[in-house]
Amino acid sequence: MSTIAEHTVGHVHRDDIGSRLGMWLFLFTELVLFGGMFLVYAVYRFTYQHEFHVAAKELNTSVGALNTIILLTSSLTIVLSIIAIRKNNKFLSVFFQISTMVLAFGFLVNKYFEWNIKIHHGIFPGSETLLGKGNGEIIFFGLYYVMTGLHALHVIIGVLLIEVMAGYTIKGRINSTNYVRLEAAGLYWHLVDIIWIFLFPLFYLIT
Amino acid sequence: MIFGSNHIELVNGAFWFIVSISFILLSFITFLMIYFVFKYNRKKGKKAVNIHGNTKLEIIWTVIPVILVMAMFWYGWIGYRDLKNPPKDAMIIKVTAQMWKWTFEYDNGVKTDSLYVPVNKAIEVNLHSLDVNHSFFIPAFRFKRDVMPNRNNSIWFLPATVGKYDIACAEYCGLNHSAMYSKVIVLPKQEYDAWMKNELAKKNASSTQLPIVIDSTKVK
Amino acid sequence: MHNNGHAVSYLDYKGKHSGIFAWILSTDHKRIGLLYLMASLLFFAVGVTFGFLMRLELIAPGRTIMDAQTYNSLFTLHGIIMIFLFVIPGLPAVFGNFFLPILIGAKDVAFPRLNLLSWWLYILGALLAVISVFLPGGPADTGWTFYIPYSIRTTTNVMPALIAAFILGFSSILTGLNFIVTIHRMRAPGMSFFRMPLFVWSLYATAWVQILATPIIGITLLLVTIERLFGVGLFDPALGGDPVLYQHLFWIYSHPAVYIMILPAMGVISEIIPVFSHRTIFGYKFIAFSSLAIALFGSMVWAHHMFTVGMSETAQIIFSLLTFLVAIPSAIKVFNWVATLYKGSISTDAPLLYALGFIFLFSIGGFTGLIQGALSVNMHIHDTSFIVAHFHYVMFGGTGFGIFAAMHYWFPKMFGKMYNMKTAKVGFWVLFVGFNTLYFPMFVMGWLGMPRRYYDYLPEFHIYHLISTIGSWILITGLIIMFTNFIKALRSKTTYTAINPWGGETLEWTIPNKPPLENFEVIPTITAGPYEFKDNDEFLMKENN
Repeated sequence: MSTIAEHTVGHVHRDDIGSRLGMWLFLFTELVLFGGMFLVYAVYRFTYQHEFHVAAKELNTSVGALNTIILLTSSLTIVLSIIAIRKNNKFLSVFFQISTMVLAFGFLVNKYFEWNIKIHHGIFPGSETLLGKGNGEIIFFGLYYVMTGLHALHVIIGVLLIEVMAGYTIKGRINSTNYVRLEAAGLYWHLVDIIWIFLFPLFYLIT
Repeated sequence: MIFGSNHIELVNGAFWFIVSISFILLSFITFLMIYFVFKYNRKKGKKAVNIHGNTKLEIIWTVIPVILVMAMFWYGWIGYRDLKNPPKDAMIIKVTAQMWKWTFEYDNGVKTDSLYVPVNKAIEVNLHSLDVNHSFFIPAFRFKRDVMPNRNNSIWFLPATVGKYDIACAEYCGLNHSAMYSKVIVLPKQEYDAWMKNELAKKNASSTQLPIVIDSTKVK
Repeated sequence: MHNNGHAVSYLDYKGKHSGIFAWILSTDHKRIGLLYLMASLLFFAVGVTFGFLMRLELIAPGRTIMDAQTYNSLFTLHGIIMIFLFVIPGLPAVFGNFFLPILIGAKDVAFPRLNLLSWWLYILGALLAVISVFLPGGPADTGWTFYIPYSIRTTTNVMPALIAAFILGFSSILTGLNFIVTIHRMRAPGMSFFRMPLFVWSLYATAWVQILATPIIGITLLLVTIERLFGVGLFDPALGGDPVLYQHLFWIYSHPAVYIMILPAMGVISEIIPVFSHRTIFGYKFIAFSSLAIALFGSMVWAHHMFTVGMSETAQIIFSLLTFLVAIPSAIKVFNWVATLYKGSISTDAPLLYALGFIFLFSIGGFTGLIQGALSVNMHIHDTSFIVAHFHYVMFGGTGFGIFAAMHYWFPKMFGKMYNMKTAKVGFWVLFVGFNTLYFPMFVMGWLGMPRRYYDYLPEFHIYHLISTIGSWILITGLIIMFTNFIKALRSKTTYTAINPWGGETLEWTIPNKPPLENFEVIPTITAGPYEFKDNDEFLMKENN
């Protein structure tokens, strides 16, 4: 209760544990959100076992694997940036935050080309090629675009978030005694990573 | 008394069973509220007593409702079980729903837009939709079943009394949802056979014939 | 004006911004609560108007005042507005925001700026819903449930409505998150969990349901939007999708949402009854835990909305059984409330009337819920006006009356004015009679086979529809009496300074009316539970003088 007792007029309330709790709750809602999608995936995987099997073969596993490595590395760099700021090394922290953004950008470029090739081959929702295939394959690619798309959206939000954090770090608003915001952004980034860890096997590996 | 269909007895039974228990409990709660409000009114100037609770009472008013609702569940379940399992010799009729009409197809290919059935014969309806969700509802027979595209639902009933009953659509399906009425017409066996013979003859007379519209059975 | 020293009321406080910005950019939980109150009452008025027009249309069979398309849009909008814009935010966002920090002895919520963001998202969602009405194509006509495939076939503006609901869900999640952290981190010294007022307990349970269930509806509605835009086939049966899966996902949220709506109202009733009986609440822990039990069981009964779609027999049995069991914690609450009246010193002021009205109407709603939970009966009354009646008994007779009870209870604290008690009581009785006249005939019609969402009906139902429509006029008269009473009080020049008009023991009754910006000059230390009426004789003597 000490944090509250210290609370005086004009003083902005600061409660790091509360902030972390809030962030964890938010991540929880994100997990439930994707959980809904995974539920849909599970139901259709069960309904259309064979067609999912056929469709999954069309995805390029090595591109997926490359993206997995990129994201895992970026999770490492964001952790390193937090460690750096705790040791009061502002430069190194900003460096690792920028590295994270660069890696995330690499991920998105990769994703862009992957989608582009698919679309080039005429595989996209509503296309004639796709409508010519079985229902299960239509749904597989529907899920593929929706889930990886939603994930990519989270990557973009994550990049914007880290960008703001980098700005704060440069200005000194995030420093070795007050870095809870960077931690929160880091947690968010790990969530993005974890969701990809689930998406990768579900779409690329299980054929 | 059974009229209309076989499901009525169990559905009505469960309904009135739950309604009676609910009515007794509601009256009891309401009576207590009103009685306490008058008896312990502040105007009487009596001092309030701080009673924090009574575990024995809590247990009683947890256990008794549990027993009551289990009984209600059981009563509801047996009626449903009955609805779910059609007898083997049931006559099968295919029902197709679309915005905003019903079509009934008999096993010999005859199509109508009212449902004709012989009395005292188990009928199983297989339900299909051409567009959106509908629901096949015969209020007088106390049941309904959703009709959905890409999904085969079915339900059965045993019409027990000769007569005409409404068929309504119970799942919202757009503009004329409320006009999607038809009739189930329960005929004595001979009349039904004669009707069917006539329909079959009409059908054979013209292979391209449209479904017959019988004005007297159309409901606004 | 109640100005003692530096404690300037939250209404008069001058901050960075002035004019309307002092309100819409304020992070003060009380101002945000008022912002929600004003916005949600505005939408309530719109929702009531739509309901009134629908009832007018149904006064006689055939066309009366509008065509079928208008009617279909009206019941869709009525549902969306009432549920997402009035009933869901009605208690947590309005009275939760205003009183949660005060009740636990805090100066604000944990994240004040996030709180303001929630309100802005609420307004954004609401505006989108309003805009959808005026765009070419016409307002959505799918019903508030957006059932697939109709919702991806209709040409009306379903998309803005879907996105609106998505944004409103997001707003609701953030409020829930904020409340959980506030309750965990901001309680005053000595305020243990079992010394929290029961309204706080109910908000706590509600907040968990909000953050656990709302994301599911978010993703589901998003998927419908994507389905409409791109035709990905996830739900569209023409592409192999399963409309029943949509219904499951929809109700996984929307059933718990019903508890988001009712739990805080139960919390309000648990505040009011001990205060007006002037004795401690009966079975505090049972009421507190039954909130959590409702939140838990309530999350596992969603498929009882779908008994007629044809699920497996096992699923039907389990969902029916759980549906019956979820009634138990509600029953426990009702018994404890009634027992709280026993040997009290009861004052029948307007808040208590509304609370007792709540118990009666909510009980009817609960009992008719049991009727629907019975599988065989459900086959008959599902999707009939019986359901409409049940739903309104729970959501209007329950939550609506709960909101009105809260308004009458906390009005003097919020505004430093007092309404006319006689008028308030008259308003209650008119509302109560109107409510039952309006909705009870729907039970009868439903049992006789009147399907819901019907623009037109068979002549045999005429008499019930007529009674029901007349009931709607009485109900609206009651609403007008109630709200003019409030408005008169707000406009009157007499300030109400008694800080504890009802003799409550919770913290809001220890601070001035129109509480100061940071609520407490000194954060109180809590040494006892919230309903220990130690000053029994003292308060009563004061009242008699």
